[in-house]
Amino acid sequence: MKQALMVLLVLLVVMVACAPAPTPAPAATAPAATKPAAPAPSAPTAPTPLPVVGADVKPAATEVLFWHAMSGSRGDVIKSFADEFNKTNKYGITVKPEYTGTYAETVTKALAAFKAGKPPHIVQVYEVGTQTMRDSKAIVPIYTLNRGDVDFGDVVQPIVKYYSVGGQVVCMPFNSSTAMLYYNKDAFKKAGLDPNKPPTTFDEMYEYGKKIVSSGAAKGGVSFGWPAWIFEQMFATHNQLYANNDNGRSGLATEVYINSPFGVKVLTEWQKWAKEKVLVYGGREYDANAPFIAGEFAMLVQSTSSLGGIQNSAKGKFELGTTFLPRLPGYPVGNSVVGGGCLWVMKGHSDAENLAAWEFLKFINQLENQITWHKKTGYFPATNRAVTALLNEGWFAQQPNYITAFLEILLGVDTPAARGVLLGNFVEIRDVVGAAIEDAVVNMKDPKTVLDEAAKKTNQILKDYAEVNK
Amino acid sequence: MQTRFPNKFLPYLLLSPSIIIVLIFFVIPSVQSIQQSLYRSNISGTRQIFVGLRNYEQIFSTTEYLNSIQVTFLFAFFVVGVGLALSLFIALVANQRYAGFTIYRTLLIWPYALSPNIAGVIWGLMLEPTIGMLTNAMQFIGIHFNWRTDAASALLFIAMAATWKMLGYNIIFFLAGIQGLPTEILEAAEVDGANAWTKFWRITFPLLSPTTFFLFVMNTLYAFFEGFGLIHVTTNGGPGYATDLMVYKLYRDGFIAMNTGFASAQSVVLLLLVASLTFLQFRYAGRYVYYGG
Repeated sequence: MKQALMVLLVLLVVMVACAPAPTPAPAATAPAATKPAAPAPSAPTAPTPLPVVGADVKPAATEVLFWHAMSGSRGDVIKSFADEFNKTNKYGITVKPEYTGTYAETVTKALAAFKAGKPPHIVQVYEVGTQTMRDSKAIVPIYTLNRGDVDFGDVVQPIVKYYSVGGQVVCMPFNSSTAMLYYNKDAFKKAGLDPNKPPTTFDEMYEYGKKIVSSGAAKGGVSFGWPAWIFEQMFATHNQLYANNDNGRSGLATEVYINSPFGVKVLTEWQKWAKEKVLVYGGREYDANAPFIAGEFAMLVQSTSSLGGIQNSAKGKFELGTTFLPRLPGYPVGNSVVGGGCLWVMKGHSDAENLAAWEFLKFINQLENQITWHKKTGYFPATNRAVTALLNEGWFAQQPNYITAFLEILLGVDTPAARGVLLGNFVEIRDVVGAAIEDAVVNMKDPKTVLDEAAKKTNQILKDYAEVNK
Repeated sequence: MQTRFPNKFLPYLLLSPSIIIVLIFFVIPSVQSIQQSLYRSNISGTRQIFVGLRNYEQIFSTTEYLNSIQVTFLFAFFVVGVGLALSLFIALVANQRYAGFTIYRTLLIWPYALSPNIAGVIWGLMLEPTIGMLTNAMQFIGIHFNWRTDAASALLFIAMAATWKMLGYNIIFFLAGIQGLPTEILEAAEVDGANAWTKFWRITFPLLSPTTFFLFVMNTLYAFFEGFGLIHVTTNGGPGYATDLMVYKLYRDGFIAMNTGFASAQSVVLLLLVASLTFLQFRYAGRYVYYGG
């Protein structure tokens, strides 16, 4: 008897534990199903732009929900923007910013809320979620709200172009960054290197790294943050396509070129560095920052958004230098790609409410707010006017490292390859590529083999994605 | 002895709260999971395509999923094996009467009161590869432990944290079990000249078998389902896929990659797997359990 009871109890526990987290009800009740579908773009070419909201519609005096993924001091800046906007806007709009967890959690929550019929008005989405948002049928592209009041010609072009489809801006660029090389000038001196001549090519990187290690200036030469993203950066900075259909910009990408001779070359170089302890594997995100600050290796390839943090922590420990990403000679010049986040307006509200959200997006895009945002967070100032103003007040002269990041995205070419790739289910693809890189630089497997394997997996992911989301 | 209810409806009425809870939180979601595992849907869920068993075929054809199963079993072996052995040992020691033993016993139970996330944060800080106290101490004696970049260290790290988190729970049950043991038998053994080990191995351990068995089952369930919070605040399944337990992979596929079909198929597989494990445990391990005369 006792035994039977226990079986029952245990099974109950199993059952409860197994039940998936409550997800919104399946398809049948989805709100979009009842609405007339947008003209389905059957051709893989640029979709026909949607009409812009009529001039007679006024922004509603409503509450605007703004879900974002900026914690800590960045979240405070957002809050101060909202407070300021609520006080000053002439339509009686109240913006309510809310921190909704990490980027991934924020996207998931926003889409779940859309399915449940209660989407926020504005949601911040990371750059890898761009294709997902485009295909979600849950968004209002912001160009349909722009009745000539924002000139995107003034927004820094590589940023605008990353978030444009068929020449139309779909979301408001908000926090943008790219990757650059950070280096420890003191360690360079200790290794007998010129601290004002950081490596510019892969070969120099390797040579300098070896000198740093052999001289004992640091245990390792260089480490990467976000290795899979750096790998993408390599394709873009050398003007190589990462995927077909113009990097997924003229149509949904169905095939990646990560195992192209160029991809194999890059990974083979990295593996060569790793074998000599020039490259120290530093995890998938920001894990490499702490050991870089502690002086364990002398160089770090990382997002420019880490600059503020690294600069502060390095103060008093060593002199920090920054420069552009090193290159492989013999390949054409491309451009470094923008990462970070963009603000999307979600579907499910009236035009008047969408315009209220748009008012806030315009407010963030204003000169003084762009300057505040840049100074307090280290993300790019997104408009040319803001850059000019910062230049005039001498900010970049005081903070030379901030100009590195910025110049880097402005000095390249504008081609589909250099604009960066858009992929469906990009998050999972980055995991696959990240694992392949680890296999090559940690487990020392053959670069060509691991990339072939990763390409096969990635193409399958793209196929699965296209099957339901085209 | 059986008690008769005055009418046929009362028992059902009394059971209804539990039945409703089970329906809402288990039966309905499970049926939905099974249903969704046969479909693929787009991101916003507005379009669903029936694919039969293709989701299942596909998850089993990926090395990531097979790896995930393997990692989960390794994790479970550690959590159950090391966890039970360690907590039984601690319970035996804590069962002795010494100064301040009540305070000490209470403290032992503390970890259980923490949520897995907090346990993760605590262990993550202690073993932080660069600034962690324990890591630095280990560095001092020449052990290099970096769970952020080394696969084996990462799995060991979450297994240790998960085991520690469950220790309190196990110790309470073991302590209660030990204190409920009939003292006559132990005294008789003492009179017969049995040493401490013989007493433990021949008397305490067999008599504790119901508790051990219960904890064995509970710890297995814990290892299969509860690793999530811990991983979510520390390794995120990495480095690579080193700590990508089945529950975590399911979450990533469902909520980050937004592949509800794959995720549902995985939750069904997980349910079947654990249900059959539990069944096997009762069928085979259960027969060695002595429930007393």
